[in-house]
Order: sequence, then C-alpha cells, then structure tokens
Amino acid sequence: MDSFWKKKLEGFNTERKNEEYERWVASTLAPWNRQTGYRERKYQNSSEITIKEVYTKEDVQDLEKKLGMPGEYPFTRGIYPNMYRGKLWTMRMFSGFGTPEDTNRRLHYLIENGETGLSIAFDMPTLYGYDADNPRSEGEIGKCGVNVSTLRDMETIFKGIDLSKVSTSMTINAPAAILTAMYLAIAKKQGVPFDKVSGTVQADILKEYIAQKEWMYPPEAHIRIIRDMMVYCTKNVPKWNYISISGYHIREAGSSAVQELAFTLADGFYYVDLGIKAGLNVDDFAPRLSFFFNSSINFFEEIAKMRAARRIWATVMKEKYGAKNPRSMMLRFHTQTSGYTLTWQQPLNNIIRTTIEAMAAVLGGTQSLHTNSYDEAWALPSDGAVKVALRTQQIIAEESGIPDVIDPLGGSYYVEWLTDKMEEEAYRYFDRIESMGGILEAIKKGYIQKEIADTSYKRQKRLESGDEIMVGVNKYVEEGEEPINYLKIDKKAEEAQIARLREIKRTRDEAKVKKALEDLRRAMLDDNENLMPYYIRAVESYATVQEISDVGREIFGSWKEPVIV
Amino acid sequence: MDTLSIVRGITAGDQRIVARAISIIEEDNDRSYEIIRSIYGMTGHAHIIGITGPPGVGKSTMIGVLSRKLTEMGKKVSILAVDASSPFSGGTILGNRIRMQDTLSRYGIYMRSVSNRGMTGGLSRSTWNIVKVLDAAGSDFIIIETVGAGQSDIDIVYLADTVIVTLAPGLGDSIQAIKSGMMEIGDIFVINKMDREDSFFALKDIMDNVYERNGWMPRVVGTNSLKGEGYDDLIRAIDDHRTFSVAHGGKRRIRYREEVRLALSRIVERHVWKEFGKLLESGEMDSYYDEHLDPNTVATEIFAQNNGLSQGNSVERRVEF
Amino acid sequence: MEAGKNLSSSRPIKVLLAKPAIDGHDRGIFVLARALRDAGMDVIYAGLLPTPEQVVDIAISEDVDVIGLSLLNGAHMTAFKKVVDLLKERGVEDIAVVGGGIIPDDDKPKLEAIGVTGNYGPGTPLSTIIEHIRKRGEEARKKKEM
Repeated sequence: MDSFWKKKLEGFNTERKNEEYERWVASTLAPWNRQTGYRERKYQNSSEITIKEVYTKEDVQDLEKKLGMPGEYPFTRGIYPNMYRGKLWTMRMFSGFGTPEDTNRRLHYLIENGETGLSIAFDMPTLYGYDADNPRSEGEIGKCGVNVSTLRDMETIFKGIDLSKVSTSMTINAPAAILTAMYLAIAKKQGVPFDKVSGTVQADILKEYIAQKEWMYPPEAHIRIIRDMMVYCTKNVPKWNYISISGYHIREAGSSAVQELAFTLADGFYYVDLGIKAGLNVDDFAPRLSFFFNSSINFFEEIAKMRAARRIWATVMKEKYGAKNPRSMMLRFHTQTSGYTLTWQQPLNNIIRTTIEAMAAVLGGTQSLHTNSYDEAWALPSDGAVKVALRTQQIIAEESGIPDVIDPLGGSYYVEWLTDKMEEEAYRYFDRIESMGGILEAIKKGYIQKEIADTSYKRQKRLESGDEIMVGVNKYVEEGEEPINYLKIDKKAEEAQIARLREIKRTRDEAKVKKALEDLRRAMLDDNENLMPYYIRAVESYATVQEISDVGREIFGSWKEPVIV
Repeated sequence: MDTLSIVRGITAGDQRIVARAISIIEEDNDRSYEIIRSIYGMTGHAHIIGITGPPGVGKSTMIGVLSRKLTEMGKKVSILAVDASSPFSGGTILGNRIRMQDTLSRYGIYMRSVSNRGMTGGLSRSTWNIVKVLDAAGSDFIIIETVGAGQSDIDIVYLADTVIVTLAPGLGDSIQAIKSGMMEIGDIFVINKMDREDSFFALKDIMDNVYERNGWMPRVVGTNSLKGEGYDDLIRAIDDHRTFSVAHGGKRRIRYREEVRLALSRIVERHVWKEFGKLLESGEMDSYYDEHLDPNTVATEIFAQNNGLSQGNSVERRVEF
Repeated sequence: MEAGKNLSSSRPIKVLLAKPAIDGHDRGIFVLARALRDAGMDVIYAGLLPTPEQVVDIAISEDVDVIGLSLLNGAHMTAFKKVVDLLKERGVEDIAVVGGGIIPDDDKPKLEAIGVTGNYGPGTPLSTIIEHIRKRGEEARKKKEM
C-alpha cells in the first residue's frame, strides 16, 4: 500500500537538467543582466516553488499522456468535452442572513429571477450546534448567515418553495446530518419523494479540524455520523451530495497552494476509504463527492493547482481505488476567490485582485464560482459591491473570450511544468501523511495545522520585510488611510429567534421530544446503527439543534485542538 | 506584596497569591530564596508525579483526566507544565493548557505553565522551587509535565516521586522508548490511545522490556483518554508506587541531594559570572590587538594577572621559530 | 547567556492570547503568538472558544502581564467587556487588556474607556502590535512589583 505514493513520486523528474536553458543563461541572459542590471528578488510562488525566467520543451515530460483531451482521462484539461461552450460555470453567490424570513424572501427573489441553485449560509451558533438562546450565541444570531434552531426555522426558510424544483447547497459541517434531516423532513411534509430531493451539504469535517475549527465532537464521532449520512443517502436520497471537500478554508487559514491541494485531496481520499469501509461500492458514491477550492492571486500557480487536482484525483481513483465509472474520476469543483488577498486599504484594488483570481478559476476549469466583493475585508458586502463582483464574472464570461477555448493554457511550458511540480509536491505530502498513519492521525497530531501555521507565519514575515508585496499595504501606501468598518449588529434577528424558539419549546409535544432524543442516544451508542432515521425523527419532534447535538456531546465528549504553535 | 503576606497566602492555598509567588520564584533572585526559606518547613506533604514521553502521545489530555479523577477522590491536585523556549529569542509558547482547560475550570484545579528557559533535561531551573510553593499550598499531588522532547527529559527522575512514561501505539514509540533509555526512568508506563488497532502490540512490547529496579517492578497500564478507560488502574499503580516509596524511603533523599547540588551549582555559577564580568572590565583588549597576540594567550594572561598568580609573568606569549 | 550578565534574569513579558467567543478564525492569532515568542515573550494561547471566565482564570493562574483579545466576528463589545468586568470583579488591576480584530471606529473609544487598548485591525504591522503589548506589559509589571 504505502508504495503507491512512492511509486508515483518516482514518475516525476521536474528538476531535471535543461541544457538549452543552461546554454541560454550562460551565453545570453547572464551577459545581458550584467550589462543592464536586473530586479533583485526571490522569484517564488506561495508554495515556495522557485520559478525560472523561462521554461522550454525540456522542462515538460510525457505531455500527451498526462494531458489527454477534454472530457477524457485523466481530465487534466477539463472534465467535460465541451466545457464552457456547453454551459458556462454557475455564478453562485452565497445568501442566507438575518432571520429565516429574510432568507426566505431572498430565496423567492432569486427563484423569480431564474435561479434554481440555492446556496445557504448559516450563522456561527448554528454551525457549532448551539441554539439561539444559549448565552454563547449572544451577538452572533443571524450575523454571518441565517440562524436555525429548530425545524420551524427551516420550514420558514423554505416556505412556498417546492423542494422537487430546486437544488440547495448548504454550507454546514458539524451539524450537517441534522440540517440534512431537516431538509428531508420538509420534503416529507411537502410530499416530495427522497429521490427527487437534490442538493449539497459541505459536511467536510476534516477541514474543520484542519482550518475552520467548527466542530462539536472528537473526529471519530463526526466521521461516524458522516459515514451514516453517506450510507443512508447513497441508498435513499440519490441526488444528495453529502460532502463538498473543501480546500477553501485551508487556504484562508494561511496555507500555500500546494498545501491546499494536498490536504484537500488527502481529505477526499479519506472519505473514499470511509465509504468503501462502510461497504459501499466506490462507483456508487464517488461521483457524488465534489470539491471546493480557493483561487488566490498568483495567477499561474492557481491554474496549475486546479489542473493538477483533476489529474491526481482521476489517477488515484482509477489506480488506487479501482474506480470504473469515469464520473468517479472526474473532479468537479466550486471556486471562491480569496478573502485573504483583500485589503481594507484602497478597497477598489480588490476588484482587480478578484478579477485576476476569477480568471484563474475559469482558466482552471471550475464548475461554479463565487467572486468576493471588494468591501469584504471589513464588512458584510454591500449590494453595490456584490453586484460588481457578479458583473466581474459576467464580463469574463461574455466579453473576454476566455471561455471560448478549452484549457487555453494547455501546452504552455511553464503551466505544464508547474502543474507537474504541484502534482509532485502533493504526492510528497500524501506519502508523508501516510507515513504518519493517515490524514486523521496527522490532524490529531497537529501536523497539518502546524504546516499551515508555519506557511502563514513565513508569509507574514515576508510581508513585513517587504520580500512580498501587497499594494496599498506595504508598497504604494497612501498616508492617513484608516480602516472603515461597517460591521453592524442587528439585535432584531436575535430577539425574534429567541422568541420563536421559546414559543416552540412551549407548544411542542415534550414526550415526543424526549423519546426521539432517547432513541437517538441509544442509536449513538451502537456503532452499527445508522443515525439518519433517528435524526429525522428528532427534528420532526421539534427537538432543537442544540438538544440533538448535546446527545452527542454527552456520549462522545468534546474535542480540544492539539497544540501546534 | 510583602513576603509575609505571600507566605500566608501560599499556605492558605490562595491561587492568586500562589500564582504571584511562582512568578517571583521564576525570577530566581534573593526574594525567591527568601520565600522558599519561609515556606520550606511546610513542604514535604505532596506526592510528585512526573509525566514524560514523546510529543503527540496525549500527555496533556491524560493529565486532564488523571487530575479530574484524583480531584473527584477528594485530593488536591496542582499541575506544572514545562515548555521549551525558542533558542533564538528566548521567548516561549506555552501551549499545554488548551487540552485541560475545561477540566481545570470545572474542578478549580491550579495549573501553571513555565518555560524551560533554554535548559536541557526537560525541566526549568525554577521547577524545583515552584514545586515547593505548590507543596506548601497544600497539594496532595503535583503533576509535572516535562517538555516532551522524549529521551532528553531526564531530570524528572530526580524531582518526581513517581515517573510515568507515556507512549502511544504505532509510529514506533515503544521501540524508540526501549532504545532510548526511557525504560530506565519509568516507574509506570502508560500506553495511551488504547482504541488504536496496534495498541496491544505496543503494550506487549513494553511489558517484555520492563525489569525490576531497586525492588520495584514497573507497572504497564493501557488508557483511553477519550473514554476515561484504564485510569482506575493507573491511579492504583500510582498509589502502589507511593506506598512502596514510603516504605523504602523513596526518592526523597536523592531529591534532596540533587536540590542541594543544584543550589550549589547556582551559587558557583553566579560567582563565576560575576568574576567573569570583572575580568572583562579589567582587560585592555585593544592593546593586545595591536600586538597581534593570539586570543587564547591574551585570555590566559588576563586571568593570571587578575588572580594575582605569581607565575603571571611566566605565561609564554609567543613561540618563535 | 550573555557574558558577564547576572543569572537572575528579568522574566519575559507574559501574554495570554484568546478569542473569547464563537470564532474559529485563528490564523491571525497564531501568527501573533509566534511573533511575540520571536520578540522574546512568553505566550499562552487559550485555545478555541474559551469563555470569558476561563480567560480570566487562565490570566490569574498564569500571572500574565497582558491579555490579548481578538475577535473577527463582531462580538467584541460584549465579549471584551465581559473579560474586563470579570477582572474588576476579582480585584485584578495589574493585568493589561489589549484588543484586536475587526473593530469599528465607533467602538474604539468605548473600548479604550474600559481599558482595552490597541484595538488594531487587519493589516497592522506586527511590530506595531508587539511594541504596544510590550509597553502595556511593562506598565502592568511595574504595578505588580509595587
């Protein structure tokens, strides 16, 4: 087993001698540099890969075999034969804020305007499995997303929306099974059969431990719940994508592009192992796994990362996991532009950064894209800023000609070399992770988190020393600029949510709640029991998100992160 | 705060004053020794448990569970965790609290994190005296977590009444421990994370390699910190070792000897540094520079002159060929 | 050890870094923790989601000089104030409180008024933050020695 990665690594030779380059350096470049001078700096990307002045044919190897054609294995050039000529990427913008009523109104507005792909963000208390009336939720209700404490809130969010006609993406992780249960409970009430229900939950708990840090229980407990969701949905809800494997947050936590690539795919392989161990056939569930990447500012590095991701996934799914269905080998992904690269200084510059990052995502072959608003460095985005962000995508799509040709950078010596290099470095990480006992062990030991924190600290030091430039921050600085802050706290959502929760607690059938929670507890104690039906019954009894989460807290305990600094 | 109030606060077990006293002890000055002198008569009650082992085996989590269990049994527990300082800046990230904080808060257990201040051996110089403060404050048990650099954490042998070596299955921990001399320092060996598949092999590896030392046969215990399993066995092993130590005089005499040795070395060191300072100020180094004399000869000459050595003039300054 | 220096060293400034609310964005606080260590300080990181009570417990047990609080989620007015109130309640006057994160300009004077200084936003050079923490730490240390 462990030789799989090592064997793969043997296939790379990205540092081999390039005689033509060396000749050119000695005879042409060096004399020229001596005569005209040159900019003294380190040419390195976020992954600390040193970049040469120029790349040639000799820097790339086995090009034909590694590239393939669009829609064909190993999908380096794109997963569909016609890519954006068939269908433009989905311009998906996040919604979900304030009270469930606010979100419901926004969803109706989007549906009336032809949107069928809904995307919902939840507030912090919901993400951590706390109810609105928990003291820890104070000041957080409805702030970065909508608050859900009971099924009633979800009913309100989807009031008047036919679940058989829409597909809903929910950005939820630790309590993903509870929210999925709620969605299914609403489908039941609407009389929509489960095989007509479609949507996505993020449910990528590994990246929570790595980067986003929103969990309720120790990893093993969450993984068991994800396993149950995988098994249940594979059998009963065939159009439910139960995991969106996310590198976005890993990158935002300060990782390099290579680290994002490697750790995200390593997480993905873990979920594949999990499904197989649970008795599922790899081709029955792998097509439902999708990915979520960050697009940051180093243009070619990002494009190479996305191309490498597709190639690695296809290769490993085929060679290591024996997938037969090409759909199991296709890496589908959503992209969001980087929040890390936005600055509060000279905010309009952010539009340019986002444009470059969005172009990289499209050139990298993304299936959907969220572009950040230029004011997001200091506030929840304003309507005007959101519109510019969306227009950015539309200009790339309709005016630039970029999507007209599939993988237009394919064959570029630099991009191909960099794609190889990123792939190689990712395999190096896979090998190291395996030697540590796998990704879960590596996370529990804090290795992954430490790698990211190291990268992030090094970058900060480069910024402070001026080795790395951020325009408006450490170069071309305008004097007297002060950060503008618009972040406001609206207490109305909080009061409304608490009132609603109290109302439900007063009127619900307590005996039913108690029984549902007791049944859930017993099921949790038995590892062979699938928890999903119990979650559905619990939410249907109007047990709250926290009451349901607390059953697990009692049984599994909580989890404290390893010390990494 | 005057020394008397501090001493009273310590003996009353006032956590805030204990905290302040430890800071003063860490400063390692005359005031520190005055406090130790004043409380020494009230020490000697606590049983000191040292916990050592390679990084990543779950020492902090284990201490959290152990201290909780001991507290539930009505014992007063204090914890002292040592972290390594940065060799470049001297600053330290003290990270051991994170995994125990919930327990500490719930049970009101006192814990303190200290930097090793660049010392090797797994403890800081001040650890020895901090233990005295915690002891005088009425602790039944003082649990010390060493730096966790593994094989170099040897000093704990002298300080602790009971040394627990913690290991995790897999990753060759047990083999490393056997090879690196950790087998010689543990009174109790804990294999943590017993939920892992390979844990029984690790347990067996260690059992096959422990041997009786000075009349005590080290115990080997498996624990699972997540589920709290194995801790009753661990506490029994600690208790047995304590009974054994009391009956056999234990390490107290050894510890006392080590404490005096350390105190003496500190006095000598101070004296040496002071003398060194004087020597540095006395020499006209620049004048030697002009003579182009080799540095070693210059140092020897400065030393000889300032110590009034009669042979001072006989230092051979140059070898001519 | 510098030659000739007396062994009884001055203890480094000791700082507790904490995010006392539901806020998992810890990239910045990790960077700061390392930067403070590299500036020669002792740094304790409270881990994720400590309650204000826990923050104050840790600060007292560890006898820190400075508590550095950071929140990016907008809960600073409630959470920072709770920490300050708890310190007052327990009669602690010799621990300085420094803030940071996404803090609106309007809130800064309010925080200053209750003794939370700094309140730096994203993009502040580390050296500025370090100097401020050092200054507040030295003030606190003087109070302790009184």
